[in-house]
Amino acid sequence: MREVRFIAAVILGSASLLAQGPPRGPRAPQTAKAAAPVDFTGYWVSPVMEDWRWRMVTPLKGDFASIPINRAAYDAGEAWDPATDEAAGLQCKAYGAPALMRIPGRLHITWQDEQTLKIETDAGTQTRLFHFNARAPANEAPAWQGYSEANWERPVRGEGDPRNGVPPIFSTRTGTRGKSLEVVTTHLRAGYLRKNGVPYSENTMLEEFYDYRTAPDGTPWFTVTTVVHDPKYLVVPFITSTDFKKQPDATGWHPTPCEAR
Amino acid sequence: MKTAILIALFAWGAPAFAQIDFTGEWAPAYHEDGPERLPGPELGDYMGMPINEAARLRADSYDADRISVVTEYECRPHSADYGMRGLGDLRVTREINSTTQELVAFHTYMPAWGSVRTVWMDGRPHPPDYTEHTWQGFSTGVWDGNTLIITTTHLKANYLRRNGIDSSDKRTVTEYWTRHRDYLTVVTHVVDPVMLTEPLVRSQNWTLDPGQKTQRMFCEYQPEVPSAPGAVPNHLPGTNPFLHEVADWYGLPYEATRGGAKTLYPEYKLTMPKPEKTPAAKCERFCVCSVLQDCNLHSVPPR
Repeated sequence: MREVRFIAAVILGSASLLAQGPPRGPRAPQTAKAAAPVDFTGYWVSPVMEDWRWRMVTPLKGDFASIPINRAAYDAGEAWDPATDEAAGLQCKAYGAPALMRIPGRLHITWQDEQTLKIETDAGTQTRLFHFNARAPANEAPAWQGYSEANWERPVRGEGDPRNGVPPIFSTRTGTRGKSLEVVTTHLRAGYLRKNGVPYSENTMLEEFYDYRTAPDGTPWFTVTTVVHDPKYLVVPFITSTDFKKQPDATGWHPTPCEAR
Repeated sequence: MKTAILIALFAWGAPAFAQIDFTGEWAPAYHEDGPERLPGPELGDYMGMPINEAARLRADSYDADRISVVTEYECRPHSADYGMRGLGDLRVTREINSTTQELVAFHTYMPAWGSVRTVWMDGRPHPPDYTEHTWQGFSTGVWDGNTLIITTTHLKANYLRRNGIDSSDKRTVTEYWTRHRDYLTVVTHVVDPVMLTEPLVRSQNWTLDPGQKTQRMFCEYQPEVPSAPGAVPNHLPGTNPFLHEVADWYGLPYEATRGGAKTLYPEYKLTMPKPEKTPAAKCERFCVCSVLQDCNLHSVPPR
């Protein structure tokens, strides 16, 4: 009985000591740039090894394959007319955030400031801004790239990861801090998921997860998992993942305007 | 004595700190290449594949009757890498050592050909090169933050695409498993020195589906079309009459349908030739296809 009490005391004591940790003073929050677990900056290219005939060329009118559309989207896609879009100055409808990362091209990623990651694309000459520690202003106008709130992935619970200086005791947490960037985009202008007029609505919410890795040959890659939520035109969320390979420099960077066909 | 107990307590919980829980039933999202993965790829569709000339020549010789005639092809399982791209209801379980509480392995089950994989997480080495090659190969996993990196060797030759583009038994497959909320993304990075000029990199997605009940698959060998005993349906070089179909149906330049690394990069759009045939005004094949039930030749979503 005395042994049980002793062990319990040790457990509680050790947990208490660990919980206290070293003395802490007020700490200024790290900027998003300083807190970055990985470096996404640089030039990247997506070798098109998936969906080739829906990405490298404009698919035929009425080709909705792979997209979980409802009848309203089908009808809208059947009515697609690129000449009408051109006449209305809407050539960029297929270059909005829900579709942009799937368009063949190169990315240039930089930090615009300490809290804003910038992604520029040569295809369509678009710019996305990922705002850390920020919320969309109330009067934010809808735009092709919308407003993106970003976070470095955080643990579900903050304990148990030895790299945080807290050794595990009994159970260790699942989901250690990784190399992931989470982005939620709203305030989108209605556009196309695919160049042949498969629509998404202005109420679309876009979730993205950027995962960095190093390939066996040492080349950095990242994959962005894209989840498009649009009850107006989709029967379930539309999920794709697109792979990007790091480039040593700007070779191949070839800015082009949006094209409607 | 107290110190010893304290150390023992810390050691107790230490081993498996970098775990994401992949266990459960996962439903595949066929939101990429749906027609290839559901009804199956078109003949002569090599688009997006960094294949070499040998792989292309071999694919050109493929006759789809082979699956109906050759016993070894009739119930040929999908290998570890192709299985992730093909028909993929997925169940993941984990094996825990009951004494040490360490993660020993992940096990996966896919109903297509009853494919069972084991991913060893206990640090064991891969066997020597001369060891038997199997459909699922030999897999080991390590953690990198929230990503599980799986290396698979000892694979049998199988498919890169199930229209004659084959993989060799010399390939190595590296997978990157990441879970975000109830989404699972698996990147498959295939290095095949026999068939590819650069790695084939594709990524697949699943959503957690606790209600999914994975089924058992039966496959029986029986002749489906008349053929001579021992025949292997094939096309000799230059005689395959079906290779232009995919280009003509979808309004594509034939050259682009032949695959190869140069066709994968955005700059290929600048030099891509025009289609040989005037494209159809409208899609006519598998135009709505994101789940198996709706992926028919002429599906239309209900009102």
